[in-house]
Amino acid sequence: MSYQRTTQFSSRRAGNWNRNQNTTRFASPVKLGPVTHTVLVALMITVLGLIYLTQATRATSYDYEAQKIDSKIADLTTRKTDLEVENARLTALENVQNSSVAKAMTHPTQTDYVQE
Amino acid sequence: MQLDLKKGSRPRILATATLVIMAVFIVRLFYLQIIRHDYYVSEAKKEQLKQLVIPAQRGEIYAMDGGTPVKMVLNETVYTVFADPKVVDKAQDVIDLVHKVAGGNARPNLSTLLNQKESRYQILATKVTRKQAELMKNAHLKGLGFQQESQRVYPEGQLAAQTLGFVNAEGKGQYGIEEALDDHLTGTDGLLQSVTDVSNVPLTIGDNNINQPAKNGQNVIMTVDRNIQAYTEKALADGLKKSHASNGSVMVMDPQSGKVVAMANAPTFNPAEYNKVQDAAAFNNATISAPYEPGSDVKTLTMATGLDKGVVAPDSTYNNTDSIKIEDRTISNATKGQTGNITFQHALNYSLNTGFVTVAERLGDGQNITLGARNTMYDYFHNKFGLGELTGIELANESKGTVIPPTDADGGAVRYSNMAFGQGLDVTMVQVCAAFSTILNGGTYYKPTVLGGTMSDDGGTFTPAAPKPARQQVVSAATSDKIRVMIHDARSAFYAGKDKPGYYIGGKTGTSQTIENGHYVDNQTVGTYLGFGGDSNSSGGPKYVIMVQVSGKGMNLAGNTDAMPIFTDISN
Repeated sequence: MSYQRTTQFSSRRAGNWNRNQNTTRFASPVKLGPVTHTVLVALMITVLGLIYLTQATRATSYDYEAQKIDSKIADLTTRKTDLEVENARLTALENVQNSSVAKAMTHPTQTDYVQE
Repeated sequence: MQLDLKKGSRPRILATATLVIMAVFIVRLFYLQIIRHDYYVSEAKKEQLKQLVIPAQRGEIYAMDGGTPVKMVLNETVYTVFADPKVVDKAQDVIDLVHKVAGGNARPNLSTLLNQKESRYQILATKVTRKQAELMKNAHLKGLGFQQESQRVYPEGQLAAQTLGFVNAEGKGQYGIEEALDDHLTGTDGLLQSVTDVSNVPLTIGDNNINQPAKNGQNVIMTVDRNIQAYTEKALADGLKKSHASNGSVMVMDPQSGKVVAMANAPTFNPAEYNKVQDAAAFNNATISAPYEPGSDVKTLTMATGLDKGVVAPDSTYNNTDSIKIEDRTISNATKGQTGNITFQHALNYSLNTGFVTVAERLGDGQNITLGARNTMYDYFHNKFGLGELTGIELANESKGTVIPPTDADGGAVRYSNMAFGQGLDVTMVQVCAAFSTILNGGTYYKPTVLGGTMSDDGGTFTPAAPKPARQQVVSAATSDKIRVMIHDARSAFYAGKDKPGYYIGGKTGTSQTIENGHYVDNQTVGTYLGFGGDSNSSGGPKYVIMVQVSGKGMNLAGNTDAMPIFTDISN
């Protein structure tokens, strides 16, 4: 039996015309050879690579943002600690005793005690 | 097409050479990529991966201010300023800036340091504050660097120095709470492992990243009240000045919970400048680490033992002849002349040794300090009152002291007759305070503690610790009521009128001989005073117990003249 190879798609049904069945035949006018296919695949890989690189770069830019925020948090924490230390120094008993308010205080002239 | 290379032809030689070279490459690549795979992967990771330690903050220490915790020990971020002399291009500007901003924290020989061009790291100033560091950074001078570190800050200066201890240059707690609770305070450093860029900014790319946060140390809330502590230290300093004693210690304890609200020692030091201390003895908290013969203070415990066993009462009598013979030894009173049939209250008032040796005898057969009497005394003193045993207070270097058991060859009648009036045993002030609290509070022994509760991680919520009785019914409530009145009367008998109205105060003097080279010496005595106070005797017992001790090399110091005034100052 002889078999003839064609470059166009041909449905086996095409030979049997039946009612209400698809009868469209597709035939591309553009012919792509193996080199073109290779180039297209390479291009697709390149595009995918670029997409990956874009995403990775974006992730890295987030890292820098995160680093900036972390630095700010660390800076604010240090400032908070410094303020706490300053507060503790200012409210230390020795400082309070030497304050102008404390120095202006006087001893009571008379003390009475409540008897239960 | 089939290549037909003739043997020995140049193309064949070229093909063979190419094959050999290719084979060499393949073998070499196989060696590098397969055999040495792990090595080169680790080398690559070394370059790409950075491991950064996230330092844990040391826990802060709080004291009480009434019912509110206040920070006594904090952490402060400070900077070490360094320079790379090879990179510095304006040395004079750097020197001027460091001198101007860092002041006394700058090293003295800056120009010499900056001239050492072969060195890439020279420290120019230490312990520079954040504000100072920012001022220097803003000058944008080349070759200047800043290294961040954390240091302990003590805003109250010397206050409660021995109780707090300090943190040494290696970051280890030394003495006091800092050493005893070092593990709690230290925390655990975190780890950040990540691929970084050239500026060491961690990047999320890579599959070996680790981000383990630091676990900060736990905060500690002390029972010490900073106001009482400050007053106690001032009273001690004033008292020592008057008596010219060189050493002194005071402990103030809440007898209803065992919480230590003040412990003062002289000489003292500033924990922030611990490296300037000449004599390391100043670091010791004598109230817990210096056992001594307590002397007459212990007569209150002997009396409580006698009362609890029902062998004596405050008004029961004995015949005082100013001396009493125990085996081959004669024990005499320090105060003479109170002879005849006198009450045990009288003996306590005048601190007569014979009275308390008699109590010890009555714990036996009435005439001798028998083994039974000694066993009873040991049971009360050691097992119930905790003398000669570690109290477990949360401070470093607590000493145990010594109470010789009756089973020991040295634990005979003479030893126990001495123990009845406070000699022949070594105890610490914290042991005596805890025992004294027990006989006053109705008979509950509380473990002495300096831990006042817990604080939430954000420092917002304080939960006070509930008192934890270690032993109950150590003495009966009736015994406690009696001994409290006896001690109050003992103080009132001689010191009436000195206490403020509205206070119910009692106390007992103690003057102990000291031992030098195994023998008692006459020219050196330690003065102590052990007392209690509160608003009245009927509202659940005393509110505080205070013990004062003063001593000095070659000095005869007495409880009534040198220690009691300090007690009176604090208690009133």
